[in-house]
Amino acid sequence: MTLWTGPFLPLAVLIWPLLLGLSVVLPIVRPHSLRLLLLAPAPALWLALRGADGASTAPELFLGVELSLEPASRLLLGMVAGLWLAAGVFAQSMAGGRNLEVFTGFWCLTLTGNLGVFLAGDVITFYLAFATVSLAAWFLVVHSRTDEALRAGKIYIVLAVVGEVCLLAGFLIGVQAADSFLIADMRAALAEAPLRGLAVGLLITGFGIKAGMVPLHVWLPLAHPAAPVAASAVLSGAIVKAGLVGLWLFMPPGAFGAGLMALGMAGAFGAALWGLTQVNPKAILAYSTVSQMGVMVALVGSGTAAQAVAFYAVHHGLAKGALFLSVGAVAVSGGRARLVMLMAAGLAALSVAGLPLTGGGGVKAAVKLGQSDLLALLITATGVTTTLIMGWFLWRLAQAEVSGTHARVYERLPVVALTLAAVGVPWIVWPQALAATPDYALSGRAIADAIWPPVIAGATALVALFLRLGPDTRPPGDLLRLLVFSAPAIWTQPRAAFSLDPARLVAFVTVAVARLVAVEHVLLRWRWSGLGILGVVVALVFLMD
Amino acid sequence: MTALLPVAILLSSLIPAGVTFFLAQDSHRLRNTLSLGGATVKLALIVVMLVAVGQGASYEARLNLAPGLYLLLRIDALSLLFMTLSAVLWLLTTVYAIAYFGTKAELSRFFGFFSLCVGATTGLAMAGSLITFFLFFELLTLSTWPLVVHKQDAKSLAAGRSYLTFALPGSAALLLAIVWLESATGPVLFTEPPDLSVMPDSHLRIIFALFIAGLGVKAALVPLHGWLPGAMAAPAPVSALLHAVAVVKAGAFGIVRLVYDVFGIASVQDLGLGTPLALLASVTILWGSVRALQQGEIKKRLAFSTVSQVSYIVLGAALAGPYAAIGGLAHLVHQGLMKITLFFCAGIFDERAGAKRIEDLNGLGARMPVTSVCFSLGALGMIGLPPMAGFVSKVYLGLGGLQAGAPWVLGVLAASTLLNAAYFLPLLYRLWFLPAADAATGDERAPLLVAPAAITALASLAVGVFAASALSPLGWATLIVTREYLP
Amino acid sequence: MTPLIALLALPLAGALMAVAVPHRGARIAGVVVVASAGALIMLVAQWGIPHAAPGGWGAPLGIMLEADGLALAFMAMVLAVMAGVCATAAPMRELPTPFWPLALLAWAALNAIFVSRDLFNLYVGLELLTLAAVALVATGGDKALAAALRYLIFALTGSILYLAGVVLVYSAHGVLDVSLLAATLPAPTDRVAMGLMTAGLLIKTALFPFHVWLPPAHAAAPAPASAMLSALVPKASFVILLRLWFEAMPDAADDRLLTALAVLGALAVGHGGIMALRQTRLKQIIAYSTVAQIGYLFLVFPLAGGDGAAQPWAAGAWTGAVFQALSHGLAKAAMFLCAGLWIIAVGSDRLEDLRGLARGLPMTAMAFALAAITLMGLPPSGGFTAKYLMMTTAFASGQVVWALVLAGGGLLAAAYLYRPMGALFAREIPAFTPVPRYLQAVPLVLALLAVGMGVLSDGLYAFLQLGRPGTAEEGL
Repeated sequence: MTLWTGPFLPLAVLIWPLLLGLSVVLPIVRPHSLRLLLLAPAPALWLALRGADGASTAPELFLGVELSLEPASRLLLGMVAGLWLAAGVFAQSMAGGRNLEVFTGFWCLTLTGNLGVFLAGDVITFYLAFATVSLAAWFLVVHSRTDEALRAGKIYIVLAVVGEVCLLAGFLIGVQAADSFLIADMRAALAEAPLRGLAVGLLITGFGIKAGMVPLHVWLPLAHPAAPVAASAVLSGAIVKAGLVGLWLFMPPGAFGAGLMALGMAGAFGAALWGLTQVNPKAILAYSTVSQMGVMVALVGSGTAAQAVAFYAVHHGLAKGALFLSVGAVAVSGGRARLVMLMAAGLAALSVAGLPLTGGGGVKAAVKLGQSDLLALLITATGVTTTLIMGWFLWRLAQAEVSGTHARVYERLPVVALTLAAVGVPWIVWPQALAATPDYALSGRAIADAIWPPVIAGATALVALFLRLGPDTRPPGDLLRLLVFSAPAIWTQPRAAFSLDPARLVAFVTVAVARLVAVEHVLLRWRWSGLGILGVVVALVFLMD
Repeated sequence: MTALLPVAILLSSLIPAGVTFFLAQDSHRLRNTLSLGGATVKLALIVVMLVAVGQGASYEARLNLAPGLYLLLRIDALSLLFMTLSAVLWLLTTVYAIAYFGTKAELSRFFGFFSLCVGATTGLAMAGSLITFFLFFELLTLSTWPLVVHKQDAKSLAAGRSYLTFALPGSAALLLAIVWLESATGPVLFTEPPDLSVMPDSHLRIIFALFIAGLGVKAALVPLHGWLPGAMAAPAPVSALLHAVAVVKAGAFGIVRLVYDVFGIASVQDLGLGTPLALLASVTILWGSVRALQQGEIKKRLAFSTVSQVSYIVLGAALAGPYAAIGGLAHLVHQGLMKITLFFCAGIFDERAGAKRIEDLNGLGARMPVTSVCFSLGALGMIGLPPMAGFVSKVYLGLGGLQAGAPWVLGVLAASTLLNAAYFLPLLYRLWFLPAADAATGDERAPLLVAPAAITALASLAVGVFAASALSPLGWATLIVTREYLP
Repeated sequence: MTPLIALLALPLAGALMAVAVPHRGARIAGVVVVASAGALIMLVAQWGIPHAAPGGWGAPLGIMLEADGLALAFMAMVLAVMAGVCATAAPMRELPTPFWPLALLAWAALNAIFVSRDLFNLYVGLELLTLAAVALVATGGDKALAAALRYLIFALTGSILYLAGVVLVYSAHGVLDVSLLAATLPAPTDRVAMGLMTAGLLIKTALFPFHVWLPPAHAAAPAPASAMLSALVPKASFVILLRLWFEAMPDAADDRLLTALAVLGALAVGHGGIMALRQTRLKQIIAYSTVAQIGYLFLVFPLAGGDGAAQPWAAGAWTGAVFQALSHGLAKAAMFLCAGLWIIAVGSDRLEDLRGLARGLPMTAMAFALAAITLMGLPPSGGFTAKYLMMTTAFASGQVVWALVLAGGGLLAAAYLYRPMGALFAREIPAFTPVPRYLQAVPLVLALLAVGMGVLSDGLYAFLQLGRPGTAEEGL
């Protein structure tokens, strides 16, 4: 009986947080459970810095576990571990709250899954990690147990389960085609498989849900703001990346590329614009995440090297983490500390907007290399909407109510650290991550390219201010509000919805028809419906080959 | 020795059964000793047998009845799989039942039939010929009825009547099928596939349909599942046993035998019977889940869930291909472990907190944490979330469906997963998240009730986590399939 | 005196003694049971076909007695039932005095019929049996008189028909010994003769539609008498039918006639079953069940042999029918004895009065359940073996419809027996007179024997093949 082969460190990366998470059942650990958050990501950080020498396997576990660390995954592993650590530091501010041992347990479990996604070398381990991160994160979303959080949690769990199911089906098609559980074999086999179209569709749905890809993003703007600040940071910065990594690990090269680009760009622009209708800073950030993930999805669709996408994702994770934490930090800071926090948030926001010389500017320049002119132009153009939404976020953040004036160091430190990391880390890892040198990003042309979107955005904002065109405020939830919130409460009243009593059936059909009519009306006046139709057409074309 | 051991295994439950019937109601200690002793002895004998079979021994016992009619007990890997499952779960259920009933009335009758029921299940597992299988199948039908009506209230009696109304015509169909087949081919042994060429295809198809009708009643295939939800009126240990190993499993096990050892997978496909059976199983999977969603009573919900889950096994048998076969066989064990956990827990909720309907579960997680954790593990396994046992079955069934050229199976599995999630997750939500009613009471200070549930819950986790190990049910199922069904 | 003669003489002597010493009837019967058991064991142990020629005259002049496997098996079944009946009846003070001599006389007649191979001798035994049986019904008191009278009329009609047939046979062939008859050439009157004898025997066997006398008679008699009447008496005329068709004149058989007999049997199964479903009194349910169960026996005529030559279980249907007759006898006796004990306990056999009685008399409930399993033909009972053997032949010879009758009959039996079972196992706790445990054990033993016939059917099957007519294998 072989327990494992190869280096033990990758296994330890996963086992360690799992053990910490389980340890909260011990009465002796419970009162100090929050402290565990600081320890949990340590082995992962170490592994990311050091790199793995060879694959590790645990042949008797599950259906044979295989762990390996690709360069792109290593980038993300490091970012994710760092972000979890920073968020863990910030989470210390929750001390004294309710249900902290449950929070800690599931925090560690979510972390395990999150890390596992980057380490998995076989499909089953990947699926297990993916399911773990998806489902355990639900506990982070609903931690506050407010009505809003529970409602967001319902939407979240429904979509998460649907995503799991789609993924499993897609994986099975791939595994059967490859007759192997290894991810690399499966990706190769999937390109030739008879059910390729179906598998690709299922995988895109499954990963798209997690990555917040339009139109599967509906849970994200609800769930991310509902969670406690520290959890929001990891949700938006780290956990969504699980979907992204899935896309590049499993999609056969070129599959549904145009479709992914279209959907990605729809998200990149649309979500950022819709974000302008939000008032809650966290909701604005959530829409910004959808928007940024859209860019990354489009990059995957265009066939960009995994490492370049990972590079972009590293920056986004760090910056988004900093921004979310800043929401929490600003709320409890007064006086000069508040100013410092706002400045940090501002720097992170500028970096996300892609200001030259910031990390964001760097990664944007890096991913545009080698893209078609149109895509490069579009990516540049997202800078306009991103700048607008970031500006709007800063504005709302500055106006946020102050609930305390004594921000403690573990609330301020992570914000600053993550901001600095977002600005600096891309430049540090660039030489190792990418083939092209950073010089390109510092060239005049690149800087000029990066300057004009913020300028346009600024001009737009000024015009809007001048005309007193404030954004229309809406509750979060866009599409979902139409489709689910008004739909019959299947979730809470299964009997009513599924009974075969003829009278009820008739009533159900009547109501369903009425709903469809309502949706129809909305689709008619909805601004981007044309894009939706285009997406469907593209999807069909690609599924038919 | 080779003839003695199977007989001894059978007697290890039949003798306690026979003696228990004649015990006075108040001789609790003797009765419990008998029941537990029988269960332990049986488990020990099976372990001995496992070791011996591992070293290449084979066991066979034979009793002649009439020419062409004889009882044959024969051990193969498939028998051992089912026997081990039933022996382990029986021991746990006996512990649970003793704790559950305490000193209530009519216990001699109960434990007598309880032992008889498991004796029948074991016999069924060891049956080496069709007629032997039928004999124990019937013994199972009959010994289960007194268990179902044990409470003797109107609801139980109605359930018992409905059980017999389905089961006896099922038996008649099964007998007709067996006799029809054997009248042309001679006695059917599971080791030697009968020569089917002596009969016209149309007759074979009718015979197969009769077989499925007979076995399908027990396996609760839609539309023959009507008796199962009503049987919930029985006491919790009975439900647990009924749903995990005894009755429904007997039906599923029978279908596995039918497809692999009587007709042979090749004949089933040549006759065009595999796809209809797979479709029937799929319909059952989905319909059971939809009906489960509508139930407000915990045990009823679990019952319909059984309807759905047991058909995974049938689906595995119906799809031609080693992956599906492995998945189906592994699910035989997996479903048993998970479902018995759920029923143990439902029984504890009912007994200790009076929770019968799903609303009564609100907030129980805080007061009965161990039971609630076990229940949650079982439910997650049923949904098929990794790393629980149910996930492993699902992976193999899905692969099997693709391998057999039936990709729609993926759709069935996906829909079933979603439905399972839809009817199990709200229960967990209630357990852990909703506040308890003001007057709610309940605790889990009953270690003998909770321990069996905890053991089976951990087991259903362990068989998933260590699925790749050769000793896991999956490893075992792989062995069976490679050894017996692959040329 | 050979054991074979002893088996006839013992009950007869017992009957005479019981007349002489009326209040010692039970003890006398006990002695007869024990002594008969000894004689029977000696016979069975020989594992052969014992012969006896009383007075030293063999056939065709004298009477030839021959105990083949069939006869011995039936005598053993009768012995078991009689032992049960005696054990239950012994403590029943309310039984009228004539019960014991009549019961022993009936026993003697039964044994005589089983071992006789002479048509006239069979008639004498049958007549003796009929009169004893009618008188036994009449011991039920005034309310049983009408039923007894109806029985008498039916039975005498049957006797006359049978006797007329015997006369025709004798006039045509000059011999009445079964074996000798088989060796003679067919005569033109044979068809008439066989028709008359068969009709007479059908009436006595209470085959549908001649069954109408049976339920009232069996229900009206005292329970131990009912047990004998239902379990044993119809079997005697059935055995004669077997002897006639399979041994004496197999050549007279004709496909249409065989089918007609089986159709009547099938109708009996259906009609008896449905009627049993509609009864409210336990004894009537059991009585109608007898009507149904007798129907199975007649399926043997088209099935026997049935394409069996190629099969290892040739002669399955013939043996199956004998199994059915034997196991039904044991099970039915167990049921009537249960009914008798319950009448003692609650004073009624209405189903609603029996509710919850399983709690009070658990062993009888168990016995009833086991007997029911046999009647339903569920394994591992003798009834199952019977059904399996007949069903196999039905499929092998392509006569699927009889297999369906067998299966459907089993389901009907389950339906009508469920009602008393459901009542017994109801939750109520009734008020009842306690019944001693040893009495409760009697029907349980009988029921266990019926089930045991299935479990240990191998030896019995082999035993029944002793002296089995060749026609059982080849078919009629």
